[in-house]
Amino acid sequence: MTATVERDVFFVSNSVDELGGVTSWSHQMARLLTGRGHRVHVVGITPPGVSQEIGDVPYPTTTLYAGQPPRPGRARDAGMREQAARLTALFRAARPRAVVIVTQVWAMEWVALADTRGLTVIGMSHESFAYSRACSRFQRVRRHYRDVDRMLALTREDADLWIVHGMNNASFMPNPLPFMPEVPSPRTGKSVVSIGRLHDQKGIDMLLDTWAEVAPLHPDWDLRIYGSGEDEELLRKQCTDLGLDDSVHWMGRTGDVPGALRGGSVFVQSSRGEGFPLALMEAMAAAVPCAAFDCAPGVHEIVRDGEDGLLAAVGNTGELARRLDTLMSDKELRDRMGEAARVNIQRFTTAEIVRRWEDLFGFLER
Amino acid sequence: MKEESLRSPDVSVVVIVYNDEARLPTAVRSVLEQTLRGVEVVIVDDHSTDGSYDVARRLAAAWPDRVRAHRLDENSGGCGAPRNRGIAEARGTYVLFLDSDDVLQRDACRNMLEAAETTGADLVSGLCVRVHVDSRNGKEVKWYPWLYTRTRTLDSISELPDLLVFDTLSTNKCYRRQFLVEQELRFPVGIHYEDLLFSAQAYVAARRITLVPNRVYDWNVSDRATEKSISNRRAEIANFRHRMEIHRRVDRLLADNGLLDLKFHKDVKFLKHDLVLHLRDLPFRDAGYREEFAATARAYLESIDRAAYDEVDPIHAVCALLLERSDWDNLLPAVDTLTNRDKISAPLVERDGRVYWCAEHLDDDFARHVLDVTELGHHTKPVERMFLRNVLTGYAERSGTVRLAGRITNPLGVVPPGARLTGELEFGARRKGVRFQTFRFPVTALRHEGDAIAWEASPDLSHGLRPLGVVDAVWDVRLHLGVDGVRTTTRLTACEPGLVAGRFPVRPRLTRLVADRIAPEVSSRGHLAFRIVTRERVETLVASGVRGTPGRLAKSGYRGAKRLRGRLTSGDSKIRLYHEVFSRLPVKRRLVVFESHLGRQYSDSPKAIYEEMRRQGLDFEAVWSYAGSPEGFPDDAVLVRRWSLPYLRALARAAFWIDNQSYPLKLTKRRGTTYLQTWHGSALKRMGFDEPEWKLRPRPAQAEQQRVLDRFDRFLIRSEHDVRTLARAFRLKEKTLLRVGYPRNDALVRARREELRAGGPRRRGPLARELGIPDDRAVLLYAPTFRHQGGRQRRFELPFDVERFADVFGDRYVLLVRSHYLNHVVLPPSVRGRVLDVSAHHDVTPLLELADGLITDYSSVMFDYALLGRPMFFFAYDYEEYVHEGRGTYFDLLERAPGPVVRTERELHTALESLDEQSVKYAEARDGFVAEFGEYDTGGAARAVVDQFFSEWRRA
Repeated sequence: MTATVERDVFFVSNSVDELGGVTSWSHQMARLLTGRGHRVHVVGITPPGVSQEIGDVPYPTTTLYAGQPPRPGRARDAGMREQAARLTALFRAARPRAVVIVTQVWAMEWVALADTRGLTVIGMSHESFAYSRACSRFQRVRRHYRDVDRMLALTREDADLWIVHGMNNASFMPNPLPFMPEVPSPRTGKSVVSIGRLHDQKGIDMLLDTWAEVAPLHPDWDLRIYGSGEDEELLRKQCTDLGLDDSVHWMGRTGDVPGALRGGSVFVQSSRGEGFPLALMEAMAAAVPCAAFDCAPGVHEIVRDGEDGLLAAVGNTGELARRLDTLMSDKELRDRMGEAARVNIQRFTTAEIVRRWEDLFGFLER
Repeated sequence: MKEESLRSPDVSVVVIVYNDEARLPTAVRSVLEQTLRGVEVVIVDDHSTDGSYDVARRLAAAWPDRVRAHRLDENSGGCGAPRNRGIAEARGTYVLFLDSDDVLQRDACRNMLEAAETTGADLVSGLCVRVHVDSRNGKEVKWYPWLYTRTRTLDSISELPDLLVFDTLSTNKCYRRQFLVEQELRFPVGIHYEDLLFSAQAYVAARRITLVPNRVYDWNVSDRATEKSISNRRAEIANFRHRMEIHRRVDRLLADNGLLDLKFHKDVKFLKHDLVLHLRDLPFRDAGYREEFAATARAYLESIDRAAYDEVDPIHAVCALLLERSDWDNLLPAVDTLTNRDKISAPLVERDGRVYWCAEHLDDDFARHVLDVTELGHHTKPVERMFLRNVLTGYAERSGTVRLAGRITNPLGVVPPGARLTGELEFGARRKGVRFQTFRFPVTALRHEGDAIAWEASPDLSHGLRPLGVVDAVWDVRLHLGVDGVRTTTRLTACEPGLVAGRFPVRPRLTRLVADRIAPEVSSRGHLAFRIVTRERVETLVASGVRGTPGRLAKSGYRGAKRLRGRLTSGDSKIRLYHEVFSRLPVKRRLVVFESHLGRQYSDSPKAIYEEMRRQGLDFEAVWSYAGSPEGFPDDAVLVRRWSLPYLRALARAAFWIDNQSYPLKLTKRRGTTYLQTWHGSALKRMGFDEPEWKLRPRPAQAEQQRVLDRFDRFLIRSEHDVRTLARAFRLKEKTLLRVGYPRNDALVRARREELRAGGPRRRGPLARELGIPDDRAVLLYAPTFRHQGGRQRRFELPFDVERFADVFGDRYVLLVRSHYLNHVVLPPSVRGRVLDVSAHHDVTPLLELADGLITDYSSVMFDYALLGRPMFFFAYDYEEYVHEGRGTYFDLLERAPGPVVRTERELHTALESLDEQSVKYAEARDGFVAEFGEYDTGGAARAVVDQFFSEWRRA
């Protein structure tokens, strides 16, 4: 492979510290690339609505707007050029072979106005194709990422779908594993663990329907639902109506994901849609086998069905219940799949993903 | 940059050119503007006589590091020699080929290089798009896109035979240069279709092939080019010979490499596509061409695996066979069907209960097998649903009157000798939206000639045909044949060379200035049409007319009319009309709207309730909704077409809605309307919010769905099983549930009671007579559930051999087959009288009542039929697949079925040996089944509904 070139790398997102997966991802990557000797700069378009603690970072950050930009229209257009000029100034100051990574398509609207001549521009979509397809981002990605050097989806399958829909510059890049816990779960506790916001997208309502089929078969097991969110009240009511209050525990939001995983022997995910779900990767890194709805390419990219976890057709709660039942009934299977998961998930370690990024930078220069 | 130019480029693109100086720079620019920078261009000129080579040299001079120009010493006449030279000159790690009239997509090299380096493939292939450069709206057709829906890597071409068989291009591919060198891959020289052989060789030799969904190559197609490119000149017999020779070489290559499966796939494709391509032109060619063509084709057909005939559509196989036998009389009509699918172009014959394409060749087993077209089901169609071949036999024009004569095929004698025949010619503009007026002319003579109907007509077109002009230049001709008052429509086939010719005057209404003559022409489908001919000297005037004010006015006029009509009849404006206008009218107190299965049938519980209301002589206004035709719906009700304005008005004003599935989802029910949802069957399969698809919906969509379901004021229940399944799955409130049983099943309960009371053999009703069932045969009903079939057709393949069934059981049973209303089934004539298709009967209940035994799989008729206490058979040949890959079931049928569950045809036959035995053996199980799933079905459901809701409408 090509010898490592130290580059200037810009991450441009909606915000530098907005609450969400993209922010965590950007700063994880920014730290990793900084560690490799690259000169990183994280740029946000606006201040966040709801912020997230990013701690001390070993690279500069810039936010273009002091407040929210005006609504789309003439007023915004005028201001955009001014902000884009600030981006241009940052880009011009970079050394040759610099790279601009646009993590969200909204931010691309500003990057597109900036002068990126001589730089490699990469546009990213941090969700499944199907999820974009169902909303306005589908058209916006096609418009604003049309001319970038590479548009990156999360999986080969998503990239292929983008290509078929006219994005001939599409390729893919998986997310890196957030952490590798030293100590795997002993898988002794008779608990099934779910971690995720209590929001429609995470399908906790379907998880409760599923659990209603499994719980009677395994009276000695419980379901621990970590997370908080707007739907909590509705879901708790559904839980009560289903008569599951004895076996379901509402754990609230946790800051200690490894700890939560260590308490479980099976991880369950019942989402309606996902991109490249970190929760599954974290569970696998903790050697906890997963049962999940196969709701996106990212899911079956992470979990190898039947080898290091079990998948069910999305929405088919009966099937997900059978998968859970299989894992809960068979300790040996849990151990085998859990250990396999911990090994297999290594293909997404930070070192591996950083190497792939550096290769991509090099490839796009050829 | 200097350092880079020393490195060999990643990719060499070999651009070949012959007398194409104008387009060459565009092709080369598409390479230089690639997003991948390390790309060189190798131009090879096939000794052009124009300035192509000079252009090439200028390009090389302009980009000395990236473009090189070479020239063959003499013209080779093909693509092979220049491409071979290109391979020799290339320096890149990878090689692509580009023709001077085409272009590379700008990311092509980058995407193919990435794929090649990631997978280590010798060969990467991507999507080619045919760009019709002359089309007004930028028509583009993807080249076999199903091969290129996702990235995939093959370790051998045998993993994907379709790739070799269909994508025979060499240009949408990226080859590792070392691979070409080591395998000594070169294009054949001195023969056309060199791509076919080269690509086949490359596929076979490659150790790994990667397919990418990316568009890589734009193949520019010129539709109106006078000098068509080589691959387009199909008419030339020499080309056909080249093609056959290339096929033979590819076959040899496959045989040498032991790739027999690929050869088989290729044979299938040959019958399905290659041969068809040539056969379609055949009717337009003269006898000399046909003979030569047949001689060449016959020799090749002999090498085709006969098993391949079973893998293609019957008409493809029939054509190949007739060609092989040089049976022109039968082949030419068959080609008509090849071009016009569903057209019945042969008289057909019935022998031994099967239908054959023609009476000839049937003494040969293979020919007989191929010519057996029973499965097309032509014998089951009434004449109005047949598209009959009507071949023009005479054409003569004199002073604007055209004398026409022709023969209409009469397959299987569908037009009986004594039939009353009428005929009419109809001229209509081809262009959609301007068909404001059609012109009709009488058919003057009609004669029944056995296997054809001969006709004559002499339309005076000069006076009788009045086109507008400009917007309606082409006029299609149809002949409507009336057979005892039933109309069937034909097109006039006129492909005999030289039959129709000449031009004569007509009188366009708008633009007589520019065109006032009309001439016959033959469409690509071989049908007679007439075209308004433009006078040469005013051609420019026409152009300006079409694009200028008159044309614009005419066009915008009809477009506007079309738009307006579209808007007025769109679903949205209808829904608005319903809510904003109709719903403001007062509710009519005694108006009841009935519907069954979305208007498809007059059946089920809505029918049973309706009939009970009539029986009791209630004073009310009845409206029935129908979806297709009003045939079979009651005379004593107002009939409205579903989604018509009268339908919406009736729904808006009704006091009661009664249906068994759902009224249109988007219609809000008024407060003053009561919705009786009878539902149409107890559930084995998961329903409603128990289905994955429903669960998956986001909350707002679920809420929307719930609003639709909450329109039900009453929901009929026939057992507590329904309460646990349907009512819960639809999240219905307890007070909605009406535990009275199904009105449709009253008849079944009564039939059972009557039987027990009377004892002795059961008396059959009029339906048995109507179906012609002899008294000494028992009646079995086969009623499977709906199955999703892939493909266009909704043909339902019976899971057992119906002829064998008739042979084994025909002297004891009559089998009634009722497919789901979305599937349809074809029975061969051989089983006539022994197996009957009763799918068209609106109501299943009388069929259930008639049947002495039921065969089903997972259909909800099981719950209803059980009420009769007669034997039931469960032919669950795909149970696991159905249960596990589908949405799941509420209970395990295998445990609870009140009759034998069989998996194979043989088991079915064994079980059917004795109805009596099964009847006794499962008597208890059936009673338990009824108790569990039909406890409220006690025979008085319709009356209970009437008592509860309509008693005050009884006349004093």
